[in-house]
Amino acid sequence: MRRREVAKRVFAYELLRSTHQIESEGLRYVLTPTGERVNRIFSVAVLLDKEEIGADTNNWRLRLADPTGTFFATVGKFQPEALETINEMNVPELVAIVGKPRVFEGVSRKLISIRPENIVAVDLSVRDYWVLETARRTLERIEAMEKREGEDVELAWTVYDPDLNEYRDMVKKALLTVKEDVEIMEKLEEPPREDEPEEEFDFEEFEFEEEEFDLTDLLED
Amino acid sequence: MSRAEKLTDQILERIKGKDVKVKREDILRRMKLLIEEFKVPESEAVRTIMNYLVREYGIPREELFDRDSPLVKIADISKVNQWVSLKAKVVQLWDSNSPNVSQVGLIGDETGIVKFVVWAKASQPEVEEGKSYIFRNVVTDSFQGRMQINVTRTSRIEEIDEDIQLPPREIEVVGSMVAIQQNSGLVKRCNECGRVLNKGVCHQHGKVEGYDDLRIKAVIDDGENVYEIILNEENIRELTGIGLEDALKIAHETLDRNAVLLELKNMLLGRYFRVKGLRGGRYLLVKEISVHKPKADDFNEILEALA
Repeated sequence: MRRREVAKRVFAYELLRSTHQIESEGLRYVLTPTGERVNRIFSVAVLLDKEEIGADTNNWRLRLADPTGTFFATVGKFQPEALETINEMNVPELVAIVGKPRVFEGVSRKLISIRPENIVAVDLSVRDYWVLETARRTLERIEAMEKREGEDVELAWTVYDPDLNEYRDMVKKALLTVKEDVEIMEKLEEPPREDEPEEEFDFEEFEFEEEEFDLTDLLED
Repeated sequence: MSRAEKLTDQILERIKGKDVKVKREDILRRMKLLIEEFKVPESEAVRTIMNYLVREYGIPREELFDRDSPLVKIADISKVNQWVSLKAKVVQLWDSNSPNVSQVGLIGDETGIVKFVVWAKASQPEVEEGKSYIFRNVVTDSFQGRMQINVTRTSRIEEIDEDIQLPPREIEVVGSMVAIQQNSGLVKRCNECGRVLNKGVCHQHGKVEGYDDLRIKAVIDDGENVYEIILNEENIRELTGIGLEDALKIAHETLDRNAVLLELKNMLLGRYFRVKGLRGGRYLLVKEISVHKPKADDFNEILEALA
């Protein structure tokens, strides 16, 4: 049995600049500028637009955006699971998407597009963690590029000769866009501080004890 | 030590302790002649010399031939250069970057897991992940401080029709649920064996009534590896609030058992989970699963690395 291909985490900015495909053992991969070999991708993005290509064809072109850029995806009958959810979905919507990237060659330039295996609406915390994870992975790749380690890294240098600082800035921007959200969420979810109610309780108990030992009623008799 | 010397010692090892006096130089001279001068294949040279020993020294044939190395358990392997036989399952294979290696990966039995290397020169049939084999006459070795098993040309690999159980390995992963596989959701199980029915038919017991159950076979992907997990009714209820009763209600109301799966997919796919479980064979047996959320500190950590 063939091992399932791992879904790679790549920001739209980097994905859009990926133009080189590799065929290996019957599988197609897209090589990204920081040397990632992608057969399957996992992304969390905003579905901005869905447009049926031709009337009643049930072929959809999707426009999606993550904090670093906008990319396209196409869904048709060969992606039954994605088709099922895309038919029901309203835009805009935050989605998680698993799919296969493909490079198409136009007249003047190359275009990358995703063929989603599935698309699901998710909440903001999924987006936040995805940005964090993708930032971490991208940074690791940038470091590997600097060390010039590995075949894919060498190939990425030859094909793209990337400016790594450009990718560092992109990662930084992406992180900063969602960091604030995460901090706000954390404050909201923080459990109330434990010492406060305890103090209150102590105070009540003190009063209660005072009353208990108040014997003035008895003395009056 | 030269190849001829190694092979000579291997032969001598077989008759060690027997009441025969065999001169090492005698065998070594013959071995050198056969493999270095005449370029006879190693296995042929070994066979020829063993035949010679049978004839000249009167050593019983069975003492030399068909005497496989003792069958041992992986946990008992501790010394290098031991010839052993192992009954083990191929846990994992990975790509080798050396043309001298035909296959490399991990094999395991119920006592442990060890790295194994099949040398290209050994010209052995390829093994497959998840299948069990007897690895006869393999030799123990150590590489970068860890034990490993070398499969050489004197080794024999035989596939066996037996599923070797592996020791459970507890792991914890944080990953996204990127797929939910077929036969998930509201399923029917066989009353006899509990297997999931396919269109009302049990693999083993044919057409049966079956009983309802809720389960999910899913793929968790952390960007580096994929893990197949199975969630039972309890796991599903904890994560989604949908238990078996609710699932049956959904199926009843929509007149579609598939509606349950669709709902579960919408609630679970694409989300991040922290899964703690035991890795046995193909599946990660879930002990704990919970939704995973990011922490603000994690962001600062990477931002610092970027600065």
